[in-house]
Amino acid sequence: MHDDHDGAAVIEEGRPIFLQIAELIENDIIDGNLPEESQVPSTTEFAAFYRINPATAAKGVNRLVDDGILYKRRGVGMFVAAGSRATLTSQRKEEFFKEYVKPMTVEAQKLDISPEQLTAMVSRGLAELPDNPAMERSGSA
Amino acid sequence: MNRAVNVARMQLINKWTFLGVPAIVIAGAFAVSWAIWALIPDSVETQMYSGAGQAVMWYFLVLGIQSLTLTFPFSQAMSVSRRNFYFGTVGLFALVALVISGLYVVLGAVEQATNGWGVNGIMFSFPWISDGPWFEAFIVYFMAMVLLFMIGFWAATIYKRWTVTGMVILWISVAAVVLALVALATWTESWPSVGLWFTQQTPLTVSGWAALTCVVLAGGSYLTLRKATP
Amino acid sequence: MSDSNNAVIEVRNLTKRYRSEKALDDVSFSIAANKIYGLLGRNGAGKTTLMSILTAQNFKTSGHVSVFGQSPYENEKVLPRICFIRESQKYPDDFTPQHAFRSASLFFANWDQAFADRLVQDFQLPVKRRIKKLSRGQLSAVGVIIGLASRADITFFDEPYLGLDAVARQLFYDHLIEDYAEFPRTVILSSHLIDEVANLLEHVIVIDQGRILMDDDAEDIRGTAHTVVGPAAKVDQFVARREVLHTERMGSFASVTVSGVLTDAQRDEAMALGLELAPVSLQQLVVRTTMAATESDFGGTDRSAETLEVSK
Repeated sequence: MHDDHDGAAVIEEGRPIFLQIAELIENDIIDGNLPEESQVPSTTEFAAFYRINPATAAKGVNRLVDDGILYKRRGVGMFVAAGSRATLTSQRKEEFFKEYVKPMTVEAQKLDISPEQLTAMVSRGLAELPDNPAMERSGSA
Repeated sequence: MNRAVNVARMQLINKWTFLGVPAIVIAGAFAVSWAIWALIPDSVETQMYSGAGQAVMWYFLVLGIQSLTLTFPFSQAMSVSRRNFYFGTVGLFALVALVISGLYVVLGAVEQATNGWGVNGIMFSFPWISDGPWFEAFIVYFMAMVLLFMIGFWAATIYKRWTVTGMVILWISVAAVVLALVALATWTESWPSVGLWFTQQTPLTVSGWAALTCVVLAGGSYLTLRKATP
Repeated sequence: MSDSNNAVIEVRNLTKRYRSEKALDDVSFSIAANKIYGLLGRNGAGKTTLMSILTAQNFKTSGHVSVFGQSPYENEKVLPRICFIRESQKYPDDFTPQHAFRSASLFFANWDQAFADRLVQDFQLPVKRRIKKLSRGQLSAVGVIIGLASRADITFFDEPYLGLDAVARQLFYDHLIEDYAEFPRTVILSSHLIDEVANLLEHVIVIDQGRILMDDDAEDIRGTAHTVVGPAAKVDQFVARREVLHTERMGSFASVTVSGVLTDAQRDEAMALGLELAPVSLQQLVVRTTMAATESDFGGTDRSAETLEVSK
């Protein structure tokens, strides 16, 4: 029961935990670890695994219910709603712009990287995208 | 009230405290006394007294103190009200004192029937105390035990609430009262009548005075305990 | 503020004076049913005094305390629903853990002996050794086991981890989460090690020098403070008109902790100014708030508030 898992290490400081739980579930849906119509672990299981307050875990799950990502089957538990993966990926694209592209452009400006150079760099990054992990490592060297 | 009964059960959880140790004290005191009597030659000629039987009574003085300094804080953690702790503890003690007093009376009867355990020793049936009917001795033993317990319990409540300062003031006050009484008796030259008064006491009147003291101590310790913190 | 409709504890203007010293100074708050509360503060902040008064083990000087809507003192309707094992709990002489657990089973209606037995195994507690011969950690384990297995409607844990090793502490937290999820109840966890318990808490009450400094939902606090790092001039520009909790300077660089949630626009502004933003943990926030309060009291810096940190 008390194996030395480290689910707790995933939880970051300084950000509401229920948001992080919601994101972790979303990630699993996007990755396909939680396919549509599959059952989601119970809030108790989330609480025990991530070592967080059960009410906080429930808040994270309920947020996804409110968003229509999860739905409740009475007496059974929470399930991933049909079509939720598509909804999440399109949401994430908007967030991707805010969280990755914008900081990148700021940094690029600092370093006097022209828009053309930036586009070229992005293309190079895409070209070096690994099919094998070894490629990824050599790419950063 | 159920919780007061549970306080008594809690006190009995460690069988040694209220049952084992007193039993060993009585048995041990008896064995030692008997061995000494048996070793003394010509023992059948003269009667020999042993105060060892009182040992268990002094043990109850210690118990009275301990039940307050250690068991009371624990009872607070068990969410027991002060009232229930008080009635459960004092009630249990009274019950144990009843049993032991009965035991003393029985042992006293055996002592007399066996000519002082075969060695002319006296440990349970003392002259004066056991001269009257059996219930007189019973009442004397019972009141003596309860009185010692209440003294210990009361002193401990005072300590619990006012710590060392309380103890110092308490014993100075007790000493002052005793000294005042002695001074009063001397001043009014009433020592002969005081002496007379003492000789007039019977086991039952002494028990009566002890009972009165117990009531005062019980009331005092209850009121003190009501505001004590663990 | 918690919803007073389902409040199990209400405290209004509570003051406790020991001679001239105020252990609690006009404290007011309420505790809602079935949440895990953190009662956080430095050693000597007044945590144990507060819990003692709530459980009628100690007496208030003035103010109002109600538990389940009634005064807890000598109250047979209230006391049996409360469990408070203090950090320096005394046990009857010659008592063993087994004796203590048997006592608890007499007084706590929800006592679960099977659960207590499992906890004994997990904590590897020698139940037949006399309590006065136990180590500090084993003594803490006795209190933790009584607190958990009693399943009282309101359970207080008073610095429950003292002397426990890392494994035992983790066991306690895991059992608390699991059992609380199965049997929801009100838990008040007093602690000066905040990092360890932060994620278990639903609500946080911070007490310092007998006064309440914070009384908030843990989730609401998370993300309400940030440390801004960068060139001093730019940092100062960014933090102007914000509530500054802490400032550190090194040459022309500054690191300033400010409270308040950042909007996306503000994040963009910080990014444009070339400033780094770092989130502040609950523990850092409590330390900063406590220190800020101490500074405003004495007009100087009191580094001793750092004793709150786990890495002392």
